[in-house]
Amino acid sequence: MNVFVEMISFPFMQRAFLAGMILGLLLACLGVYVTLRRMAFFGDGIAHASLAGIAIALLAGIAPLPTALAWALFIAIFIFWLERKVRISSDSLIGILFTASMALGVILMRFTQGYQPDLVSYLFGSILSIQTVDLFVIFLVTAGILAWIAISFRSLTSMSLSEEQASVNGVNTTLQSLLLYIALALATVLGVKILGIILVSALLILPSATSRLLTRSFKSFFFVSILLAETAILVGLTSSYFLDLPSGAAVILVGTILFFLAIFFRKK
Amino acid sequence: MIIDDVSFSVEEGEIAAMIGPNGSGKTTLMRTILGLTPLKQGEILLFGKHLHQVRPLIGYVPQRFMFDRDFPITIREFLDLSRHYACPESRMLEKIHEVGLGTEILKKRLGMLSGGQLQRVLIAQAILNNPRILFLDEPSTGIDISGEAAFYDVIEHLNKEHGTTIILVSHDIAVISDLVDRVICINKHLLCHGPPKTALTPKKLTEVFGKRAEVYEHHAHQHKHHHL
Repeated sequence: MNVFVEMISFPFMQRAFLAGMILGLLLACLGVYVTLRRMAFFGDGIAHASLAGIAIALLAGIAPLPTALAWALFIAIFIFWLERKVRISSDSLIGILFTASMALGVILMRFTQGYQPDLVSYLFGSILSIQTVDLFVIFLVTAGILAWIAISFRSLTSMSLSEEQASVNGVNTTLQSLLLYIALALATVLGVKILGIILVSALLILPSATSRLLTRSFKSFFFVSILLAETAILVGLTSSYFLDLPSGAAVILVGTILFFLAIFFRKK
Repeated sequence: MIIDDVSFSVEEGEIAAMIGPNGSGKTTLMRTILGLTPLKQGEILLFGKHLHQVRPLIGYVPQRFMFDRDFPITIREFLDLSRHYACPESRMLEKIHEVGLGTEILKKRLGMLSGGQLQRVLIAQAILNNPRILFLDEPSTGIDISGEAAFYDVIEHLNKEHGTTIILVSHDIAVISDLVDRVICINKHLLCHGPPKTALTPKKLTEVFGKRAEVYEHHAHQHKHHHL
Protein backbone atom coordinates (compact mmCIF):
# COMPACT_ATOMS: atom_id res chain seq x y z
CA MET A 1 0.00 0.00 0.00
CA ASN A 2 2.88 2.29 0.90
CA VAL A 3 4.28 2.01 -2.60
CA PHE A 4 1.05 3.41 -4.03
CA VAL A 5 1.08 6.27 -1.53
CA GLU A 6 4.68 6.94 -2.47
CA MET A 7 3.80 6.89 -6.17
CA ILE A 8 0.98 9.37 -5.75
CA SER A 9 3.14 11.63 -3.57
CA PHE A 10 5.39 12.50 -6.52
CA PRO A 11 4.21 15.73 -8.17
CA PHE A 12 5.03 14.38 -11.66
CA MET A 13 2.79 11.35 -11.02
CA GLN A 14 0.01 13.59 -9.71
CA ARG A 15 0.23 15.62 -12.91
CA ALA A 16 0.36 12.46 -15.05
CA PHE A 17 -2.69 10.94 -13.35
CA LEU A 18 -4.66 14.16 -13.49
CA ALA A 19 -3.78 14.76 -17.15
CA GLY A 20 -4.45 11.08 -17.92
CA MET A 21 -7.88 11.11 -16.28
CA ILE A 22 -8.91 14.30 -18.11
CA LEU A 23 -7.61 12.93 -21.42
CA GLY A 24 -9.30 9.56 -20.84
CA LEU A 25 -12.62 11.33 -20.44
CA LEU A 26 -12.07 13.50 -23.52
CA LEU A 27 -10.76 10.78 -25.84
CA ALA A 28 -13.48 8.32 -24.77
CA CYS A 29 -16.27 10.84 -25.45
CA LEU A 30 -14.85 11.73 -28.86
CA GLY A 31 -14.01 8.09 -29.54
CA VAL A 32 -17.71 7.24 -29.43
CA TYR A 33 -18.22 9.39 -32.53
CA VAL A 34 -14.92 8.30 -34.09
CA THR A 35 -15.95 4.63 -34.15
CA LEU A 36 -19.53 5.36 -35.20
CA ARG A 37 -18.40 7.62 -38.05
CA ARG A 38 -15.43 5.38 -38.93
CA MET A 39 -12.92 8.17 -38.46
CA ALA A 40 -10.20 6.13 -36.74
CA PHE A 41 -7.70 6.92 -39.49
CA PHE A 42 -8.29 10.65 -39.05
CA GLY A 43 -7.18 10.52 -35.40
CA ASP A 44 -4.12 8.48 -36.32
CA GLY A 45 -3.28 10.84 -39.18
CA ILE A 46 -3.60 13.99 -37.09
CA ALA A 47 -1.37 12.54 -34.37
CA HIS A 48 1.35 11.72 -36.89
CA ALA A 49 0.93 15.08 -38.61
CA SER A 50 1.53 16.85 -35.29
CA LEU A 51 5.21 15.84 -35.53
CA ALA A 52 5.79 18.78 -37.88
CA GLY A 53 4.25 21.14 -35.30
CA ILE A 54 6.51 19.74 -32.57
CA ALA A 55 9.56 20.00 -34.87
CA ILE A 56 8.76 23.64 -35.67
CA ALA A 57 8.48 24.37 -31.93
CA LEU A 58 11.76 22.59 -31.08
CA LEU A 59 13.54 24.39 -33.90
CA ALA A 60 12.17 27.79 -32.93
CA GLY A 61 12.60 27.14 -29.22
CA ILE A 62 8.93 27.80 -28.44
CA ALA A 63 6.41 25.77 -26.41
CA PRO A 64 5.76 22.49 -28.32
CA LEU A 65 2.19 21.80 -27.14
CA PRO A 66 0.52 25.06 -28.32
CA THR A 67 2.51 24.92 -31.58
CA ALA A 68 1.46 21.31 -32.21
CA LEU A 69 -2.16 22.24 -31.39
CA ALA A 70 -2.10 25.10 -33.90
CA TRP A 71 -0.50 22.87 -36.55
CA ALA A 72 -3.05 20.08 -36.03
CA LEU A 73 -5.87 22.61 -36.23
CA PHE A 74 -4.51 23.80 -39.57
CA ILE A 75 -4.20 20.23 -40.91
CA ALA A 76 -7.74 19.32 -39.73
CA ILE A 77 -9.32 22.33 -41.42
CA PHE A 78 -7.22 21.72 -44.55
CA ILE A 79 -8.40 18.06 -44.75
CA PHE A 80 -12.01 19.16 -44.21
CA TRP A 81 -11.71 21.73 -47.00
CA LEU A 82 -9.92 19.36 -49.40
CA GLU A 83 -12.52 16.61 -48.85
CA ARG A 84 -15.13 18.97 -50.20
CA LYS A 85 -12.97 20.29 -53.06
CA VAL A 86 -11.28 17.19 -54.47
CA ARG A 87 -12.88 13.96 -55.59
CA ILE A 88 -10.50 11.75 -53.66
CA SER A 89 -11.50 9.52 -50.78
CA SER A 90 -11.08 10.90 -47.29
CA ASP A 91 -8.67 8.08 -46.37
CA SER A 92 -6.35 8.90 -49.27
CA LEU A 93 -6.35 12.60 -48.43
CA ILE A 94 -5.57 11.94 -44.77
CA GLY A 95 -2.87 9.45 -45.82
CA ILE A 96 -1.22 12.00 -48.11
CA LEU A 97 -1.38 14.90 -45.66
CA PHE A 98 -0.27 13.04 -42.57
CA THR A 99 2.75 11.45 -44.24
CA ALA A 100 3.67 14.79 -45.84
CA SER A 101 3.42 16.52 -42.48
CA MET A 102 5.42 13.78 -40.80
CA ALA A 103 8.07 13.97 -43.53
CA LEU A 104 8.26 17.71 -42.97
CA GLY A 105 8.67 17.04 -39.25
CA VAL A 106 11.53 14.59 -39.86
CA ILE A 107 13.34 17.06 -42.14
CA LEU A 108 12.89 19.92 -39.65
CA MET A 109 14.19 17.66 -36.87
CA ARG A 110 17.33 17.17 -38.98
CA PHE A 111 18.12 20.85 -38.48
CA THR A 112 17.71 20.62 -34.72
CA GLN A 113 21.14 20.20 -33.18
CA GLY A 114 22.03 17.27 -30.90
CA TYR A 115 19.92 14.62 -29.16
CA GLN A 116 16.29 15.53 -28.60
CA PRO A 117 14.90 13.79 -25.52
CA ASP A 118 11.56 15.46 -26.24
CA LEU A 119 11.24 13.65 -29.55
CA VAL A 120 11.36 10.16 -28.04
CA SER A 121 8.79 11.09 -25.42
CA TYR A 122 6.57 12.58 -28.15
CA LEU A 123 6.73 9.37 -30.15
CA PHE A 124 5.85 6.94 -27.34
CA GLY A 125 4.60 9.08 -24.49
CA SER A 126 6.13 9.80 -21.12
CA ILE A 127 4.62 10.27 -17.68
CA LEU A 128 7.52 12.53 -16.84
CA SER A 129 6.65 14.93 -19.63
CA ILE A 130 3.52 16.59 -18.19
CA GLN A 131 4.30 20.05 -16.86
CA THR A 132 1.90 22.25 -14.88
CA VAL A 133 1.42 24.50 -17.90
CA ASP A 134 0.50 21.41 -20.03
CA LEU A 135 -2.05 20.44 -17.41
CA PHE A 136 -3.56 23.88 -17.65
CA VAL A 137 -3.81 23.70 -21.48
CA ILE A 138 -5.24 20.14 -21.34
CA PHE A 139 -7.87 21.23 -18.81
CA LEU A 140 -8.94 24.32 -20.75
CA VAL A 141 -9.18 22.66 -24.17
CA THR A 142 -10.96 19.62 -22.69
CA ALA A 143 -13.50 21.83 -20.92
CA GLY A 144 -14.22 23.62 -24.21
CA ILE A 145 -14.64 20.41 -26.21
CA LEU A 146 -16.79 18.69 -23.56
CA ALA A 147 -19.03 21.75 -23.34
CA TRP A 148 -19.49 21.60 -27.12
CA ILE A 149 -20.28 17.84 -26.96
CA ALA A 150 -22.85 18.47 -24.21
CA ILE A 151 -24.55 21.22 -26.21
CA SER A 152 -24.42 19.36 -29.53
CA PHE A 153 -25.05 15.87 -28.13
CA ARG A 154 -28.27 15.27 -30.07
CA SER A 155 -26.92 16.76 -33.29
CA LEU A 156 -23.68 14.76 -33.11
CA THR A 157 -25.44 11.50 -32.33
CA SER A 158 -28.12 12.07 -34.92
CA MET A 159 -25.63 12.81 -37.70
CA SER A 160 -23.50 9.82 -36.72
CA LEU A 161 -26.55 7.65 -37.29
CA SER A 162 -27.70 9.33 -40.49
CA GLU A 163 -26.31 12.62 -41.78
CA GLU A 164 -29.27 13.00 -44.12
CA GLN A 165 -31.88 12.57 -41.39
CA ALA A 166 -29.99 14.98 -39.15
CA SER A 167 -29.93 17.54 -41.94
CA VAL A 168 -33.71 17.29 -42.45
CA ASN A 169 -34.13 17.75 -38.70
CA GLY A 170 -32.31 21.07 -39.01
CA VAL A 171 -28.79 20.07 -37.91
CA ASN A 172 -26.06 22.12 -39.60
CA THR A 173 -24.11 18.99 -40.53
CA THR A 174 -21.28 20.84 -42.28
CA LEU A 175 -20.56 23.02 -39.26
CA GLN A 176 -20.84 20.14 -36.79
CA SER A 177 -18.53 17.97 -38.94
CA LEU A 178 -15.96 20.77 -39.05
CA LEU A 179 -16.18 21.20 -35.28
CA LEU A 180 -15.75 17.44 -34.83
CA TYR A 181 -12.61 17.52 -36.99
CA ILE A 182 -11.23 20.41 -34.94
CA ALA A 183 -12.12 18.78 -31.60
CA LEU A 184 -10.50 15.52 -32.70
CA ALA A 185 -7.35 17.27 -33.87
CA LEU A 186 -6.99 19.18 -30.60
CA ALA A 187 -7.79 16.16 -28.41
CA THR A 188 -5.35 13.91 -30.26
CA VAL A 189 -2.50 16.40 -29.89
CA LEU A 190 -3.29 16.88 -26.19
CA GLY A 191 -2.89 13.14 -25.77
CA VAL A 192 0.42 13.01 -27.61
CA LYS A 193 2.59 13.91 -24.57
CA ILE A 194 1.29 11.16 -22.36
CA LEU A 195 0.49 8.52 -24.99
CA GLY A 196 2.81 9.39 -27.85
CA ILE A 197 2.27 10.20 -31.53
CA ILE A 198 2.29 6.55 -32.53
CA LEU A 199 -0.13 5.37 -29.86
CA VAL A 200 -2.54 8.20 -29.01
CA SER A 201 -5.20 7.32 -31.59
CA ALA A 202 -5.60 3.88 -29.98
CA LEU A 203 -7.22 5.52 -26.95
CA LEU A 204 -9.75 7.10 -29.29
CA ILE A 205 -10.71 3.72 -30.67
CA LEU A 206 -10.13 1.07 -27.99
CA PRO A 207 -12.60 2.20 -25.27
CA SER A 208 -15.49 2.81 -27.67
CA ALA A 209 -14.80 -0.32 -29.73
CA THR A 210 -14.76 -2.37 -26.51
CA SER A 211 -17.84 -0.66 -25.15
CA ARG A 212 -19.69 -1.32 -28.39
CA LEU A 213 -19.22 -5.04 -27.86
CA LEU A 214 -20.82 -4.86 -24.43
CA THR A 215 -23.67 -2.38 -24.65
CA ARG A 216 -27.08 -2.03 -26.28
CA SER A 217 -28.10 1.53 -25.52
CA PHE A 218 -26.30 4.74 -26.47
CA LYS A 219 -26.20 5.94 -22.87
CA SER A 220 -24.42 2.81 -21.65
CA PHE A 221 -22.18 2.85 -24.74
CA PHE A 222 -21.03 6.34 -23.79
CA PHE A 223 -20.49 5.68 -20.09
CA VAL A 224 -18.82 2.28 -20.47
CA SER A 225 -16.42 3.88 -22.99
CA ILE A 226 -15.41 6.47 -20.39
CA LEU A 227 -15.07 3.83 -17.69
CA LEU A 228 -12.84 1.67 -19.91
CA ALA A 229 -10.65 4.62 -20.93
CA GLU A 230 -10.14 5.66 -17.28
CA THR A 231 -9.35 2.06 -16.29
CA ALA A 232 -6.76 1.77 -19.05
CA ILE A 233 -5.20 5.10 -18.01
CA LEU A 234 -5.06 4.28 -14.27
CA VAL A 235 -3.74 0.74 -14.67
CA GLY A 236 -1.44 1.72 -17.54
CA LEU A 237 0.15 4.69 -15.76
CA THR A 238 0.59 2.69 -12.56
CA SER A 239 2.37 -0.13 -14.39
CA SER A 240 4.38 2.47 -16.27
CA TYR A 241 5.61 3.81 -12.91
CA PHE A 242 6.39 0.46 -11.29
CA LEU A 243 7.82 -1.33 -14.32
CA ASP A 244 9.49 1.73 -15.87
CA LEU A 245 7.56 1.32 -19.14
CA PRO A 246 6.71 4.02 -21.68
CA SER A 247 3.34 5.32 -20.47
CA GLY A 248 1.59 5.29 -23.85
CA ALA A 249 2.53 1.70 -24.54
CA ALA A 250 1.40 0.57 -21.08
CA VAL A 251 -1.99 2.33 -21.35
CA ILE A 252 -2.69 0.97 -24.83
CA LEU A 253 -1.75 -2.59 -23.88
CA VAL A 254 -4.13 -2.46 -20.89
CA GLY A 255 -6.85 -1.14 -23.24
CA THR A 256 -6.13 -3.94 -25.70
CA ILE A 257 -6.37 -6.58 -22.95
CA LEU A 258 -9.78 -5.13 -21.96
CA PHE A 259 -10.86 -5.29 -25.61
CA PHE A 260 -10.02 -9.00 -25.91
CA LEU A 261 -11.62 -9.75 -22.53
CA ALA A 262 -14.79 -8.10 -23.86
CA ILE A 263 -14.69 -10.28 -26.98
CA PHE A 264 -14.39 -13.45 -24.93
CA PHE A 265 -16.85 -12.60 -22.18
CA ARG A 266 -19.57 -10.65 -23.95
CA LYS A 267 -23.08 -12.03 -24.04
CA LYS A 268 -23.78 -13.61 -27.39
CA MET B 1 -30.26 13.43 -62.25
CA ILE B 2 -31.68 16.49 -63.98
CA ILE B 3 -35.34 17.36 -63.69
CA ASP B 4 -36.56 20.53 -65.29
CA ASP B 5 -39.69 22.53 -65.83
CA VAL B 6 -41.46 21.28 -62.72
CA SER B 7 -44.06 23.56 -61.25
CA PHE B 8 -46.85 22.40 -58.98
CA SER B 9 -48.54 23.22 -55.71
CA VAL B 10 -50.21 21.07 -53.08
CA GLU B 11 -53.01 22.35 -50.85
CA GLU B 12 -52.65 22.03 -47.10
CA GLY B 13 -54.36 18.88 -45.76
CA GLU B 14 -54.01 16.95 -49.01
CA ILE B 15 -52.31 13.66 -49.70
CA ALA B 16 -50.24 14.01 -52.85
CA ALA B 17 -48.17 11.39 -54.62
CA MET B 18 -45.22 11.91 -56.92
CA ILE B 19 -45.33 9.06 -59.37
CA GLY B 20 -43.14 7.91 -62.20
CA PRO B 21 -41.02 4.94 -63.24
CA ASN B 22 -37.67 4.10 -61.64
CA GLY B 23 -35.07 6.71 -62.49
CA SER B 24 -37.66 9.33 -63.38
CA GLY B 25 -36.45 11.80 -60.77
CA LYS B 26 -39.15 11.47 -58.08
CA THR B 27 -36.71 10.93 -55.25
CA THR B 28 -34.42 13.68 -56.57
CA LEU B 29 -37.36 16.07 -56.62
CA MET B 30 -38.32 15.18 -53.04
CA ARG B 31 -34.70 15.49 -51.90
CA THR B 32 -34.48 18.89 -53.60
CA ILE B 33 -37.61 20.08 -51.79
CA LEU B 34 -36.01 18.95 -48.52
CA GLY B 35 -32.71 20.70 -49.28
CA LEU B 36 -30.75 17.42 -49.52
CA THR B 37 -29.98 17.92 -53.21
CA PRO B 38 -29.03 21.44 -54.37
CA LEU B 39 -31.51 23.35 -56.47
CA LYS B 40 -29.92 24.73 -59.64
CA GLN B 41 -32.68 27.10 -60.62
CA GLY B 42 -36.09 28.19 -59.41
CA GLU B 43 -37.76 28.42 -56.04
CA ILE B 44 -39.36 26.04 -53.57
CA LEU B 45 -41.78 27.42 -51.00
CA LEU B 46 -43.41 25.47 -48.19
CA PHE B 47 -46.34 27.24 -46.55
CA GLY B 48 -45.22 30.28 -48.54
CA LYS B 49 -41.79 30.31 -46.88
CA HIS B 50 -38.28 29.09 -47.62
CA LEU B 51 -37.17 25.72 -46.26
CA HIS B 52 -34.93 27.00 -43.45
CA GLN B 53 -37.85 28.96 -42.00
CA VAL B 54 -40.18 25.96 -41.80
CA ARG B 55 -37.86 23.03 -40.89
CA PRO B 56 -39.67 22.29 -37.59
CA LEU B 57 -42.92 21.84 -39.54
CA ILE B 58 -41.48 19.07 -41.71
CA GLY B 59 -41.30 15.31 -41.18
CA TYR B 60 -39.42 12.99 -43.53
CA VAL B 61 -39.20 9.24 -43.96
CA PRO B 62 -36.43 8.24 -46.42
CA GLN B 63 -36.70 5.38 -48.89
CA ARG B 64 -33.86 3.53 -47.24
CA PHE B 65 -32.62 4.54 -43.84
CA MET B 66 -28.96 3.70 -44.23
CA PHE B 67 -27.37 3.17 -40.85
CA ASP B 68 -24.94 0.92 -39.08
CA ARG B 69 -27.04 -1.97 -37.72
CA ASP B 70 -24.56 -2.39 -34.87
CA PHE B 71 -25.10 1.20 -33.69
CA PRO B 72 -25.90 0.77 -29.98
CA ILE B 73 -29.06 2.83 -29.65
CA THR B 74 -32.52 1.95 -28.38
CA ILE B 75 -35.73 3.06 -30.07
CA ARG B 76 -36.43 5.41 -27.15
CA GLU B 77 -33.03 7.05 -27.57
CA PHE B 78 -33.48 7.20 -31.34
CA LEU B 79 -36.83 8.96 -31.03
CA ASP B 80 -35.42 11.28 -28.39
CA LEU B 81 -32.81 12.54 -30.87
CA SER B 82 -35.53 14.15 -32.99
CA ARG B 83 -37.62 15.40 -30.11
CA HIS B 84 -37.89 19.18 -29.97
CA TYR B 85 -37.44 20.71 -26.55
CA ALA B 86 -41.11 21.70 -26.46
CA CYS B 87 -42.26 18.17 -27.24
CA PRO B 88 -43.14 16.18 -24.08
CA GLU B 89 -41.52 12.77 -23.61
CA SER B 90 -44.96 11.15 -23.31
CA ARG B 91 -45.55 11.91 -26.96
CA MET B 92 -43.09 9.16 -27.88
CA LEU B 93 -45.50 6.56 -26.47
CA GLU B 94 -48.42 8.21 -28.21
CA LYS B 95 -46.70 8.15 -31.61
CA ILE B 96 -45.46 4.58 -31.18
CA HIS B 97 -49.08 3.50 -30.61
CA GLU B 98 -50.24 5.60 -33.53
CA VAL B 99 -48.01 3.73 -35.97
CA GLY B 100 -49.30 0.42 -34.64
CA LEU B 101 -46.40 -0.62 -32.41
CA GLY B 102 -46.34 -1.55 -28.71
CA THR B 103 -44.38 0.38 -26.08
CA GLU B 104 -42.13 -2.66 -25.42
CA ILE B 105 -40.37 -1.80 -28.67
CA LEU B 106 -38.87 1.33 -27.07
CA LYS B 107 -36.33 -0.83 -25.23
CA LYS B 108 -35.24 -2.67 -28.37
CA ARG B 109 -32.09 -1.84 -30.26
CA LEU B 110 -32.69 0.00 -33.56
CA GLY B 111 -30.56 -2.47 -35.51
CA MET B 112 -32.70 -5.42 -34.33
CA LEU B 113 -35.93 -4.26 -36.00
CA SER B 114 -37.50 -5.92 -39.03
CA GLY B 115 -38.01 -3.87 -42.20
CA GLY B 116 -41.66 -3.16 -41.38
CA GLN B 117 -40.98 -2.26 -37.75
CA LEU B 118 -38.15 0.05 -38.77
CA GLN B 119 -40.35 1.83 -41.29
CA ARG B 120 -43.01 2.38 -38.61
CA VAL B 121 -40.43 3.66 -36.13
CA LEU B 122 -39.18 6.05 -38.82
CA ILE B 123 -42.71 7.34 -39.29
CA ALA B 124 -43.12 7.72 -35.52
CA GLN B 125 -39.90 9.71 -35.53
CA ALA B 126 -41.04 11.86 -38.44
CA ILE B 127 -44.36 12.72 -36.77
CA LEU B 128 -42.99 13.14 -33.25
CA ASN B 129 -43.06 16.92 -33.35
CA ASN B 130 -46.48 17.00 -35.01
CA PRO B 131 -45.26 18.21 -38.41
CA ARG B 132 -47.67 20.04 -40.69
CA ILE B 133 -46.23 18.29 -43.71
CA LEU B 134 -44.86 14.79 -43.99
CA PHE B 135 -42.65 13.58 -46.84
CA LEU B 136 -42.46 9.84 -47.47
CA ASP B 137 -40.15 8.35 -50.07
CA GLU B 138 -41.45 4.96 -51.22
CA PRO B 139 -42.85 4.41 -47.74
CA SER B 140 -43.77 0.77 -48.16
CA THR B 141 -40.28 -0.36 -49.20
CA GLY B 142 -39.35 -3.44 -47.20
CA ILE B 143 -42.87 -4.13 -46.01
CA ASP B 144 -44.68 -7.29 -47.09
CA ILE B 145 -47.98 -7.01 -48.95
CA SER B 146 -50.16 -7.69 -45.89
CA GLY B 147 -48.33 -5.06 -43.89
CA GLU B 148 -48.61 -2.60 -46.76
CA ALA B 149 -52.39 -2.11 -46.50
CA ALA B 150 -52.16 -1.49 -42.76
CA PHE B 151 -49.27 0.83 -43.41
CA TYR B 152 -51.30 3.01 -45.77
CA ASP B 153 -54.05 3.05 -43.13
CA VAL B 154 -51.56 4.74 -40.80
CA ILE B 155 -50.82 7.37 -43.44
CA GLU B 156 -54.52 7.96 -44.02
CA HIS B 157 -55.07 8.26 -40.27
CA LEU B 158 -52.35 10.92 -39.97
CA ASN B 159 -53.97 12.89 -42.73
CA LYS B 160 -57.58 12.57 -41.62
CA GLU B 161 -57.12 12.78 -37.84
CA HIS B 162 -54.29 15.30 -37.64
CA GLY B 163 -54.75 17.16 -40.91
CA THR B 164 -51.12 16.49 -41.81
CA THR B 165 -50.32 17.26 -45.43
CA ILE B 166 -48.65 14.22 -46.94
CA ILE B 167 -46.42 14.05 -49.98
CA LEU B 168 -45.27 10.61 -50.92
CA VAL B 169 -43.11 9.19 -53.66
CA SER B 170 -44.26 6.00 -55.30
CA HIS B 171 -43.71 4.07 -58.47
CA ASP B 172 -46.85 2.07 -57.77
CA ILE B 173 -49.89 4.02 -58.92
CA ALA B 174 -52.24 1.18 -58.01
CA VAL B 175 -51.51 1.44 -54.32
CA ILE B 176 -51.89 5.16 -54.10
CA SER B 177 -54.72 5.93 -56.54
CA ASP B 178 -57.42 5.31 -53.88
CA LEU B 179 -55.50 7.11 -51.21
CA VAL B 180 -54.35 10.39 -52.69
CA ASP B 181 -56.07 13.66 -53.54
CA ARG B 182 -53.45 14.67 -56.07
CA VAL B 183 -50.87 13.04 -58.28
CA ILE B 184 -47.75 14.63 -59.69
CA CYS B 185 -46.45 12.57 -62.61
CA ILE B 186 -42.77 12.92 -63.33
CA ASN B 187 -40.44 11.52 -65.89
CA LYS B 188 -37.51 13.96 -66.00
CA HIS B 189 -40.08 16.75 -66.17
CA LEU B 190 -43.65 17.30 -65.04
CA LEU B 191 -46.09 15.27 -67.15
CA CYS B 192 -49.38 15.59 -65.28
CA HIS B 193 -50.71 17.15 -62.13
CA GLY B 194 -54.12 16.96 -60.50
CA PRO B 195 -56.65 14.55 -58.94
CA PRO B 196 -55.86 10.94 -59.97
CA LYS B 197 -59.18 10.42 -61.78
CA THR B 198 -58.64 13.33 -64.17
CA ALA B 199 -54.85 13.44 -64.33
CA LEU B 200 -54.17 9.74 -64.84
CA THR B 201 -55.68 9.20 -68.27
CA PRO B 202 -54.53 6.09 -70.18
CA LYS B 203 -52.64 8.37 -72.56
CA LYS B 204 -50.82 10.08 -69.70
CA LEU B 205 -50.03 6.75 -68.08
CA THR B 206 -48.35 5.53 -71.26
CA GLU B 207 -46.50 8.84 -71.48
CA VAL B 208 -45.23 8.51 -67.91
CA PHE B 209 -44.55 4.80 -67.67
CA GLY B 210 -44.26 3.82 -71.35
CA LYS B 211 -45.55 0.38 -72.24
CA ARG B 212 -45.09 -0.68 -68.62
CA ALA B 213 -48.31 1.17 -67.78
CA GLU B 214 -50.30 -1.93 -68.63
CA VAL B 215 -48.30 -3.99 -66.20
CA TYR B 216 -48.99 -1.45 -63.51
CA GLU B 217 -52.70 -1.45 -64.20
CA HIS B 218 -52.76 -5.20 -63.94
CA HIS B 219 -50.92 -4.95 -60.64
CA ALA B 220 -53.54 -2.44 -59.54
CA HIS B 221 -56.26 -4.92 -60.17
CA GLN B 222 -54.50 -7.55 -58.12
CA HIS B 223 -53.81 -5.16 -55.32
CA LYS B 224 -57.39 -3.97 -55.10
CA HIS B 225 -58.55 -7.55 -54.80
CA HIS B 226 -56.15 -8.03 -52.00
CA HIS B 227 -57.28 -4.84 -50.35
CA LEU B 228 -60.92 -5.85 -50.39
